[in-house]
Amino acid sequence: MLLHATSLLMYVCAPGWRVSCRDTVSVCLSCVSSLSLLLLLLCSLDWPSTMPAGLSYETRSCLSGSRKVCVCVCVCVCVCVCVCVCVCVCESERQNLLKTVRKCVVSRRHGCSKSLMSCFVCPLGVVAVLVSDDCSIYFLLLKVLPALAMGNAVIVVPGKTTALPALLLAQLFMEAGIPAGVLNVVTGSEALLGAKVAQNPQVNYQTYSGRQQTGEALAKAVAGWGVPMSFCLSLSSVCPFIIFDSADLDSAVDGVIELAFKKKRDFQWVLCVQDSVLDIVVARLKLRMNGMKCVPLATETDRKLIDAAVLDAQQQGATLIQSCPPGTGALYPPTVLCGLAPSCESVISPPPGPVLPLISFRSSAEGVALGNHSPHGQAASIWTEDLTLALESAKSLCVGSVWVNCHSVMDPALPLCGRRESGNCTDGGREGLYQFLRPSHSPSLPHSSPSSINYANFGSTASKFMIPEGFDPSSVPRFYSQFVGGQLCKADSGCSRSVLAPGGSVLAHCPDGGRKDVRNAVEAAMKVQPGWMKKSPAARSQSLYSLADSLDKRRRDLTVSIQTQTGISLEEAEKEVQLSISRLSDWAARCDKEQGGTPVLPQSGSALSSPEALGVLGVILPNSKPLLSLVSLLGAAIAMGNAIVMVPSEKYPLPALEFIQVLQASDIPGGLVNIITGGRDQLNQALANHSVIQSIWYWGSKEGCQFLQYSCVSPLKRLWLHCEEEEEREAGQNWTSSNPSLQEELWRKAVVWKSIWIPTA
Amino acid sequence: NHSHLSGTDPFYLEWVLKVRVNTQAVLKRAQQIQGGKVAKKQWQAAWLLKAVTCIDLTTLAGDDTPSNVHRLCMKATQPIRHDLLKSMDMHDKGITTAAVCVYPSRVADAVKSLKAANSSLPVASVATGFPAGQTPLKTRLEEVQMAVEDGATEIDIVINRTLALTGQWRALYDEIRQFREACGDAHMKTILAVGELGTFTNVYKASLVSMMAGSDFIKTSTGKESVNATYPVAIVMVRAIRDYCLRTGYKVGFKPAGGIRTAQESLVWLTLMKEELGDEWLSPHLFRLGASSLLADIERQIYHYVTGRYPAYHELPMA
Repeated sequence: MLLHATSLLMYVCAPGWRVSCRDTVSVCLSCVSSLSLLLLLLCSLDWPSTMPAGLSYETRSCLSGSRKVCVCVCVCVCVCVCVCVCVCVCESERQNLLKTVRKCVVSRRHGCSKSLMSCFVCPLGVVAVLVSDDCSIYFLLLKVLPALAMGNAVIVVPGKTTALPALLLAQLFMEAGIPAGVLNVVTGSEALLGAKVAQNPQVNYQTYSGRQQTGEALAKAVAGWGVPMSFCLSLSSVCPFIIFDSADLDSAVDGVIELAFKKKRDFQWVLCVQDSVLDIVVARLKLRMNGMKCVPLATETDRKLIDAAVLDAQQQGATLIQSCPPGTGALYPPTVLCGLAPSCESVISPPPGPVLPLISFRSSAEGVALGNHSPHGQAASIWTEDLTLALESAKSLCVGSVWVNCHSVMDPALPLCGRRESGNCTDGGREGLYQFLRPSHSPSLPHSSPSSINYANFGSTASKFMIPEGFDPSSVPRFYSQFVGGQLCKADSGCSRSVLAPGGSVLAHCPDGGRKDVRNAVEAAMKVQPGWMKKSPAARSQSLYSLADSLDKRRRDLTVSIQTQTGISLEEAEKEVQLSISRLSDWAARCDKEQGGTPVLPQSGSALSSPEALGVLGVILPNSKPLLSLVSLLGAAIAMGNAIVMVPSEKYPLPALEFIQVLQASDIPGGLVNIITGGRDQLNQALANHSVIQSIWYWGSKEGCQFLQYSCVSPLKRLWLHCEEEEEREAGQNWTSSNPSLQEELWRKAVVWKSIWIPTA
Repeated sequence: NHSHLSGTDPFYLEWVLKVRVNTQAVLKRAQQIQGGKVAKKQWQAAWLLKAVTCIDLTTLAGDDTPSNVHRLCMKATQPIRHDLLKSMDMHDKGITTAAVCVYPSRVADAVKSLKAANSSLPVASVATGFPAGQTPLKTRLEEVQMAVEDGATEIDIVINRTLALTGQWRALYDEIRQFREACGDAHMKTILAVGELGTFTNVYKASLVSMMAGSDFIKTSTGKESVNATYPVAIVMVRAIRDYCLRTGYKVGFKPAGGIRTAQESLVWLTLMKEELGDEWLSPHLFRLGASSLLADIERQIYHYVTGRYPAYHELPMA
């Protein structure tokens, strides 16, 4: 069968096209131009008519909900399921997606710039969607359909389980009349087939869904090719299933039974039960699990892993609840490991198969702390009848989806956005569409081939020591301090570097910061950020206004520093400062404007989607417009509730250092904004190697981009990379533009989305 | 049988009364020790692992329940994530903390958890009206007995500060002797509550009296006073230990507790012990660190040593 195809098999929508990788891409490229046609086509497609007769709506949503998609031996079943899934995804997605797409198309036609979507008029071009072998079709379609709808040509590299459905999907599209080459499916057994596709210079964006190890290998293989890559690592995520004492315990136990012992699970679960109801829950679990059948395992090796994990847990004092004694071979009975603690190996990384670790907690606050104390952040299921507790817990859990009194429910209308090591992109919902669009003003990462970099000692060479020539004692250059934790300080190493004027003379000295300075700054930022995030938007807005005010009072100092540093005329410098002041005021005004919504769902109940702060951001600032770019990025980050560690450009650090005075005189809390000067590569390396930093915005060298792409998968960070050398040649980011699209893009980069589901009868 | 001194009465009042401590000299020595260089790289990692094996992992809170005591015990038996230990080739060296330390009512829970996990880790219990010691002698003695009955093999008693501050050293000695008897075979650590003793001289005297009365360890503080384990006060106490060892040949252990939170501080404590008392006091049978949040920071530093990255707190398992 197709599944077992060991050689590279290529399926292009136009029948009979079997060409090499390179050709596929050129086919795609030729198609991008005709994509507006596709948009209209999608709008006019009549999806329900392709649905097999006799399937009620409930069946469809059930299928989509639990993603009961398996590649059956029987192609017939496969066709059926596949049709259902893609139809219902499209069904509900079409409502959302096409509304926005229509708006986009319409606004383009009328030249209307008022709609926010209109500033994102560019599709990315060619998008590669890669998934790992055991990834479900739902996660694949969650990327493919929005990518198509936004006008991109898509190359799908499906894994083993999704190869067949993906091919059938392509056939469906073909029957629906999609232009040839817009959707391509490349199957094969090669481990890094995806990387080969992405290494093509004409691919513009790639996105991966699946397991962490494969993702890591892929990221390393494509680092330096100039293709931005995003990850959704839901498959290796461990999610908490929290039962509070105010829960309907019977239903909660039902939920556990339903999700934990399935043959195929999308996430790993850890059961957390409040102390006061622990005995009741355990008793119900025993009762319910009694007589459950053994579950087939994926492979024989899984059995070994389970046996080892269970033995280890037992040695640590765990008691087992098992439906029947385990036999031999690739079958295992549903098992709950009671009496474990978070430090036990089987809680840190639960074994595959129907094994569920159980830990207990005292208070509801501790339950949330327990759920949050994990490197993953995909989803959580919380069970309580107490509305206040449910909403409070949902708010404080650091995960992408919170299911209140339900589990594993997904709908394309709501964003699915992994936190921490679970992912760095937003799929689904209106928010998820943005990953497949490019603001027309924003330059994309230039294509290139990777340079040879020694990743292990990147940025470890100390900056060169310089003794100034022709030292003139009458004009001693000023020494600036950096800004860490609200304090002016020297570099931890005690070293400094000289700042040169455009003419080459020494203007000033600034600290030569390094790893330890970044560490101190992040410690400070980490402490102050939660309080800042919890402040009301109005209070944040006041702080930002005070910053703008403070900048206004020191406009002369900053004008002079910009002028002496960059050598531009006084008027131009003045203009930059003026723009910076109004940019900060803009951000102050925006603090309370960006909010989520309550999407309409096919099921009854409520759903919320809301933007949340990322945490601590690292920014390596661009050379161009040193002050304006700084305040634009700083404003976006802190307006949305983040803390920030900034590295001024190596070439023009003075305006940023002068800006420290402005920060000190404002009522921005100390530690929220940190400014560290020093070697760019050295600080880049330090930021990349600090797990607390959730996102890095980088302007700099091609090698720097490559290093970040290579090293920021484990632990995962959100990257926004800009290759400055290229941008200087072409028109770079236009910081002076008053187009709202710049701010729109910036604030979207500074937030993550959380969706909360509260089903009701 | 637990008295270290020969003769019928092991209490030497004269010795106690003769004690003099010069404050500024002690402060200077403390600064010297803090200012010294600490080990780096693999040597630092080794010292940190040593510090882990000396920790009395502690929870002394009003909201302690069996479930968080259980978590604490599990963390004590596997203090550092297994994969980190493995990459240092230390996973099979049996690295655990020295003990877990709980309130008397939680001893039974801790003993049960550790027994289920087949661990021989000792359970320490605070007793004698911890932290203030302001309860009748009878109940304080009963508290010790009950903790021992529940399975505590180490008892951290607090001294009666009233007696120490009013100079009733003999009475203090007698009280501690009674605790010693009540402890039976269990190790006894005597908490001096240095923050409430006023002067270094008083600290020295209280240290001597506690050791004469048969303490196996002397411990700085309960962690509930405003001033806890500081380096100068520790120098005074370890000098008393040295004095006692020279005079009697008996080695008494030292346990700083309260406010020790960072890996860096734990390294300074180890340095202090090495400098003042020698290598013999660098093992859990003569040195303990009473701490609750210290372990998390040490684990982070070890993570940094192994991977080259600074981890976030959520990446390492919660205690």
